[in-house]
Amino acid sequence: MKACEKKAAKKKLNGKNSLRNEIDAWVLMLPMIIILYLFVWRSTVMGIVWSFFNMKAYSVRDFCGLDNYIKVLTHTHFLPTLFNTFKYVFWSLVIGYLPPLFIAIMINEIIHFKNQFRVIIYIPAVIPGIAAMLMWYYIYYPDKTGLLNMLLGKIGIEPYQWLNNPKFTIIGLIIFSTWKGFASAMLLYYAALQSASVEVYEAALIDGAGPYRRLRHVTFPAIEGVLLLTFIRQIIGVFQVLQEPLAMTGGGPNGASTSISFQLYQYGFNSGGKATGQAMALGVIIFLILIVFTIFYFWFNRKIEERY
Amino acid sequence: MKKRYLRKLCFIMAAILSVSVFSACGEKATDKDEQGRTVISIGNYPSKEGETRDIWDAKWKKFEEDNPDVKIEPDMWEFDIKTFYAKEAGGKLPNLFISHYTEIGQYIDSECVGKLTDVMKKRGYEGKFNPKILKIVSDDKGDIYAFPTTSYLFGLYVNMDTFKEVGLVEEDGTPLQPKTWDELAEYAVKIKEKTGKPGFAIPTTQNCGGWMFTCIAWGYGTVFMEQGEDGKWKATFNSPEAEAALQYIKDLKWKYDVLPANSLIDYAEYFKLYATGGAAMIIGGGSSVNQYPKYGMQPASIGIVGIPAGPKRHVTLLGGTLYAVSKESTEDQKDAAIRWLETSFNYNATEDFKANKQKEIERALNDNQLVGVKTFKPWSNETESVKFENELIDKNRNVDLNNVRLYNEFIENCPAEIQPEEPVCAQELYAILDGCIQEVLTNKDANCKEILEKANYDFQQNYLDNL
Repeated sequence: MKACEKKAAKKKLNGKNSLRNEIDAWVLMLPMIIILYLFVWRSTVMGIVWSFFNMKAYSVRDFCGLDNYIKVLTHTHFLPTLFNTFKYVFWSLVIGYLPPLFIAIMINEIIHFKNQFRVIIYIPAVIPGIAAMLMWYYIYYPDKTGLLNMLLGKIGIEPYQWLNNPKFTIIGLIIFSTWKGFASAMLLYYAALQSASVEVYEAALIDGAGPYRRLRHVTFPAIEGVLLLTFIRQIIGVFQVLQEPLAMTGGGPNGASTSISFQLYQYGFNSGGKATGQAMALGVIIFLILIVFTIFYFWFNRKIEERY
Repeated sequence: MKKRYLRKLCFIMAAILSVSVFSACGEKATDKDEQGRTVISIGNYPSKEGETRDIWDAKWKKFEEDNPDVKIEPDMWEFDIKTFYAKEAGGKLPNLFISHYTEIGQYIDSECVGKLTDVMKKRGYEGKFNPKILKIVSDDKGDIYAFPTTSYLFGLYVNMDTFKEVGLVEEDGTPLQPKTWDELAEYAVKIKEKTGKPGFAIPTTQNCGGWMFTCIAWGYGTVFMEQGEDGKWKATFNSPEAEAALQYIKDLKWKYDVLPANSLIDYAEYFKLYATGGAAMIIGGGSSVNQYPKYGMQPASIGIVGIPAGPKRHVTLLGGTLYAVSKESTEDQKDAAIRWLETSFNYNATEDFKANKQKEIERALNDNQLVGVKTFKPWSNETESVKFENELIDKNRNVDLNNVRLYNEFIENCPAEIQPEEPVCAQELYAILDGCIQEVLTNKDANCKEILEKANYDFQQNYLDNL
């Protein structure tokens, strides 16, 4: 009986302590919760609600049902911009998905100057975004003063239009964003490579496995989880591309680099307040598309966590 | 022990942060201070320490001495259309803020600005403004929503150094005026042949290309939209006239080869091209002279003439800046705001007005800006203040009069028709036209007729049908 009472008292005390700890935790989290509520949750929910209302600038007027959605979906630029966005995603996977992996493998394999290489390769990531865009704007400049055209000039080739060429503009922007952003993905791969078992690697070497077989049978199984996650994250990230076309091409030439987020920006900030409701509706459409990718992301993530 | 103090400290900090977040949301402005003075906030107040700020501070002090019933609160927010609507929705606009003719129609439609009809009437402005300009800042019922302060008419900036080098100047050094757009192309070809540099440039992004293209296209006889008897608007620029205007732009690139290699030119790049010798001629209003000193362009290198004529009309675009008041402003605040404006923009040449204009000119001279270009005023040229300002400009001119004479004459006795911007969805139209220009500048085989058919359809379907 006594023991039982003691146990109950202890449990009560533990309960009190955990409750107290929980209150402490909640109070400490409160500022962040308020900030998240004000700037993320509330705006997301209000965006969804307001997408069903007529708006004058940012003031809500009357309920209009699906009007904003119809206007967005029947806008003659909607399908071309959606197609452009998928083009961004496609080219980012073609151009930007594997280079970070190759560089991570290269750094992992080399013995000398490993740290120096890591620092040099990370430099683009620490250059401020706008400065980097401006730099690349002049690298791509379409007359003889552009860096790439100067190089072409050295071998007797006429200046190329680069970002002025509607067929190249998205590829050009993706090359820039790959250069700017590949260091973070490279670090992820590098960390995964570092965690690969040294014993298995050495065993493969003793068994006479060449670089390709080591890559195929040792390295790849160690990083395939990260590869899958990066794949989905890259799709989600590039689907929201905005800064590059905004700063480097203005969405041109003739809409060739306008992404769906750029179109949302135009609705929200360049419509003189007339298309705010449509900006909300397009935001919801993007949200729904990204939700599909996010579900995939979590599903993959769970699978990977289960495996390791 | 230490841990307990740390926890308490974290607790207090969290509580302070939470309270501060909420208190920031609950802030409410009032129109009177404890002394009963009317409080008005003034937007675009210079935020950087320096000469401009000193001038504004002195103006502020003097104004409060002369108007003891008013208290000024400087607001450093610089007008920006991208933040305007968010500030307006949050009730955080300054009472008085600067904007442009092109945007006021949107504000009136969105009910974001306060009506100024009564206060302007009370302060004697009836009949003082140019009716054409007053119409831009009024609604359909004739109610006035803004105080127009400066206006401009599109002219043509020429690079004097290049013009002299190519021999495109009169004996007295006056730059030659291209009388038509075709003549401008001829000048540009001469410049390209002699200097190897582009003779002309037009912006193509941020809606600026469309804005300037409308003026060229009007000259070719283009009518961009028409209002039917039922009040509905119809896009009408899938016309041979618009096609001829777009073909002209295309020819500048592919036939005459006088445009810069870059076909994605924003407004900043546009000014830079001109100021650094990358384009010998650009379209612009007289007020953009303040853009060039930052690129090291000397006032003597700047020349400005009138806008060339098109084959059908000789027409120029009217634009300008204005001040509007937030919709929350009370009648007392509106009255105080107009009184503040009168110190710098007035049809009467009051002592305040004279002193402030003198300071503005001195600042422009110190900044190595060109002084000598007259601007088109919202009121008649015969008003006292315009005469005073023009005399002041003549007295302080820092360039040869011939560099600017043709534009000043163009302003004073405009031989061209003066046309304000398109009445509805002007910015949307400009965005669509930007795309048309980009297409003809990047595609040698572009078909102007097809491009304009599609643009006309897009404009009708996406914007005019949604009005």
